[in-house]
Amino acid sequence: MRAIQSLVVAIVLRVVHAALVELRELDSRVAQEFARMPEGLSYAIRTGHRGPTLFVEWNGQEVLRLRELTNPGCALRIKSMPLAFRLFTGQMGLAQAYARHAFTMGGEVADVMRLARLVNIVEAYLFPKIITRHIMTDVPETEVNFLRAYGRIALGFLTCKYKFSR
Amino acid sequence: MVPYFEFHNAVKLLCGELALERIAIELENLGCEKPLMLSDAVLTKIGTLSTVIKAMESEGLEPAAVYSDIPVDSSLAVVNRIAVFYREQGCDSIVAVGGGSVIDTAKGVRLVLSQNKQDILSLSGLDNLVRGRHIPFVVVPTTAGTGSECTGVAVIRNDSNGVKMEFLSPYVEPDIAVIDTRMTQGLPPKATATTGMDALVHAIEACTCQQANPLSSAYGTAAIRMIAENVVAATRNGKDKQARFAMALASTMAGIAFSNSMVGAVHAIGHALGGVCHVPHAVAMTILLPHVMRYNLSHCAEGYARLLPWLVGDEEAMHVPVEKRAQAAIDAVVALARELNAICGIPLTLSEVNVPKDAFAHVAEVAVNDGALIVNPRAADEAQVIEILNAAY
Repeated sequence: MRAIQSLVVAIVLRVVHAALVELRELDSRVAQEFARMPEGLSYAIRTGHRGPTLFVEWNGQEVLRLRELTNPGCALRIKSMPLAFRLFTGQMGLAQAYARHAFTMGGEVADVMRLARLVNIVEAYLFPKIITRHIMTDVPETEVNFLRAYGRIALGFLTCKYKFSR
Repeated sequence: MVPYFEFHNAVKLLCGELALERIAIELENLGCEKPLMLSDAVLTKIGTLSTVIKAMESEGLEPAAVYSDIPVDSSLAVVNRIAVFYREQGCDSIVAVGGGSVIDTAKGVRLVLSQNKQDILSLSGLDNLVRGRHIPFVVVPTTAGTGSECTGVAVIRNDSNGVKMEFLSPYVEPDIAVIDTRMTQGLPPKATATTGMDALVHAIEACTCQQANPLSSAYGTAAIRMIAENVVAATRNGKDKQARFAMALASTMAGIAFSNSMVGAVHAIGHALGGVCHVPHAVAMTILLPHVMRYNLSHCAEGYARLLPWLVGDEEAMHVPVEKRAQAAIDAVVALARELNAICGIPLTLSEVNVPKDAFAHVAEVAVNDGALIVNPRAADEAQVIEILNAAY
């Protein structure tokens, strides 16, 4: 079971990164978040014990995906794989995860808040409202059709757009 | 009910008569001989700090050093400076005497020392610290509002950007908290009222935020009742020992409540008002509470309705139709704030404390990055925060 959950989480983490890359161009709120984000801010998301990871960095122009990140600006660790699975499959929102002590965080709380707003918007595109209504108190409206976001993400994967930057 | 929650409170409480005189034996039991006393200039001037020191000395324990220059709005730099002072003086424990700023600074100092660091900035985060070295830590609150003596969070301003940073860990909690009415008896009426409202905000937000749980709500609701029954009496007559003691206990209970379930938008916006416009924390809480409750009402009617009996008493609440109880709870909060305003003139609007409207955008930008907002019953973006600020103006 853990292996399957781990595989799903790994895939969703890739999709989350891809969605951030694409929605920065499609959604004004995502664009604004990145415009205000300090250049060089990096996030390390770790899941469970040696589970899948996502390391991203905002370099002021692009959302880079990194192989390793030794000193992240904000380090999140989801406490177990079942929790990570719930979080990344639309069964639990980031605010709910916070409320349920599902993760630890090193760095500034403000950076988690930025991430929470971004993830909420990403989830509004990736999941149907019937799901997002259960995991957020207020679901952000999508600014473009979700199919357009999905299409760009699919094309991005086909063209290997989201490969490691370093 | 929430599907999962955690609850932690490892603070030993010394409550009531002659509690200060027990600090010496408690420190002795913790193996300490050289406490560092931390306080601020006002408490030193009015003799509150010396009351504590004399109580300790009467039982044979002299402080190794005293640092009494903690500013009202303390900062990371102050924390780092005191940690250096502690090491230089060869201290083995900390006794903090003061309100929120002193206690949170002391928590920061303890963190730096126990984690063996030089700079507290490297320790910010949520549940991310290992236990570290045990630095015995006693807290003597001198206000009845912050509840900081029993919380696992320290809020300290970052000088570089004016943002209040949060350090959340069970290892932030003191070992011992001393609740002695001698510490709050001299508190002026305005401070009594606003810090009492601060405690009320802690309790209400703890009971209604997304992290509320049965245990935190038990503490929170009990605190609401004690505050509703005693804050006016304590404000009218500071010598009313019973009301003072009740308020001190209520503040502590509200602290335990929100330490285990977080707070909400009142705090998120209040922290931002403090950081950007230097509005004192308790004053910001007093002003914002009814406006945030109105904002949250559409998402939190049931939660507020449940608080009505604790705010106004069972008898009065029973006569309010169920569907009107949430609004009645807000009305009760407004009535309480107005009564306190009539007694001692506490501010009820942002204009009274000279917050310029052109600062609202900056306040909102800071507020949406405050961790307290994440568990508020209703999400809020910058435009919605500005709406709340306008309503509170």
